[in-house]
Amino acid sequence: MASSTEPNDRLSLFRVIATDIHFWIPLIVLAGGLLLLDNLR
Amino acid sequence: MQTARLRSLQALGIFCGFAAGAWLGGAEAPIKLINPDISPVTVSLIMVFGVFLARWSVPAFVRGTSHVRYDVRQAPHLVVWAVLAGCMWAVANTLTIYAIRNVGLSIAFPLWNTNSLLGIFWGFLLFNELHYAGWKRWLGVLGGAVCMFGGATLLAIASSHQAAPGKATLGILAALGAGILWGTMYIPYRKAYLTGMNPLSFITFFTVGELATMTTLAVIYRGVTPLWNELVGARAVLFWLMLGGFVWVIGDLFQQYATKYVGISRGIPLSNTNQLWGLLWGILVFHELRGSGQTVYAQVAGGSLLMALGAVAIALSSATEREHSSWQDAAQREGKRYGVEGEYVRAGMEGRQFGAGPSDRTLLDWILILGTTALFVVLAVMARLPHLDIAIGWAVALTIAMLALLATCGIALWRTTRFR
Repeated sequence: MASSTEPNDRLSLFRVIATDIHFWIPLIVLAGGLLLLDNLR
Repeated sequence: MQTARLRSLQALGIFCGFAAGAWLGGAEAPIKLINPDISPVTVSLIMVFGVFLARWSVPAFVRGTSHVRYDVRQAPHLVVWAVLAGCMWAVANTLTIYAIRNVGLSIAFPLWNTNSLLGIFWGFLLFNELHYAGWKRWLGVLGGAVCMFGGATLLAIASSHQAAPGKATLGILAALGAGILWGTMYIPYRKAYLTGMNPLSFITFFTVGELATMTTLAVIYRGVTPLWNELVGARAVLFWLMLGGFVWVIGDLFQQYATKYVGISRGIPLSNTNQLWGLLWGILVFHELRGSGQTVYAQVAGGSLLMALGAVAIALSSATEREHSSWQDAAQREGKRYGVEGEYVRAGMEGRQFGAGPSDRTLLDWILILGTTALFVVLAVMARLPHLDIAIGWAVALTIAMLALLATCGIALWRTTRFR
């Protein structure tokens, strides 16, 4: 069970998230949205 | 999962989708009472304050925040996903303001409404939705979504009172950008609910990203002092805007449950029926189409009919056992990747309690509930109702209809899943 929030666990958690392709899709879309917003204002 | 259980969860998810449409549409009503002099970014920020309060107090009221902590201990990675989704929502919402300003609602609304088509795409590609669904269900979902898109276009044209568009390309890009952001935001949603997280827990972290992003955008766009002055100057309408945010959260919560039990490919198009409810408020309560020609009324009738037909087609295309088993494959993949206990994932998908779990509300819950209530009472005392021609009878009738949906869908959720 992923119940601990010790620093090492947190690090490995972020590593797992960073290697999940699903994470990069919304992140890239968010970055694109922010860029677009910057051009609009 | 047993066939009967699967059917009842699918029916529940569809019911939640329709209830979401009513409450998300109803959230537009308090905003119509606002003086147009206040900047759109400030309006959005005040609404998000209301949303933030609702997203913490409603879960505290329904289940208690100890359940949120319990959920996070099971799947801590979802905090990151929820914050990311909240950031996306805030950016998309700000883009819609620019889209409406540059190309008008009639062009902007259908463009960002394409989010449901993108939701279907991501649901199919990443989460095994509509796999082994058969051509009839594919036709029902995709045809229904396209039908709703057509209906939304007609309704948006009919309800548009915008001036001639300027800066058209930027406006179209803003509207499409909002649609892409919202459509992609459903990836974190589906990720969370496949893993078994409770919607009430997900939204509490979602709103952190939402409020942080919206505050940052408002400070950058308006500047600290002008923003503060505008907030102080808007104190007579703070209540209406924050009430709009609160009502919106109820709708969003139903949308989250719909996403959880019928997936994004069906849940999102169903909750897009909010446009119908927004139009009902506009026409019946605020007399928005008074004096319009026959063409406008024909567009409204045709658009409403198309949207309703699309929603019915999707509602009748619920997932089969075979499709649901492919959802379970996606859920197992998620659980394995993030080290979430299998039984927690299964319990979440089946809408049942995992383990004993916390039972009582804590002092923090009561502080959140009473604090939010007190703040709304203070704002209501300060609030002024603008002199508008409002049909109170229709406002009461629509409010009763929304409350009836809240009660019946809330009871159905409680009976079937105990708000899991």
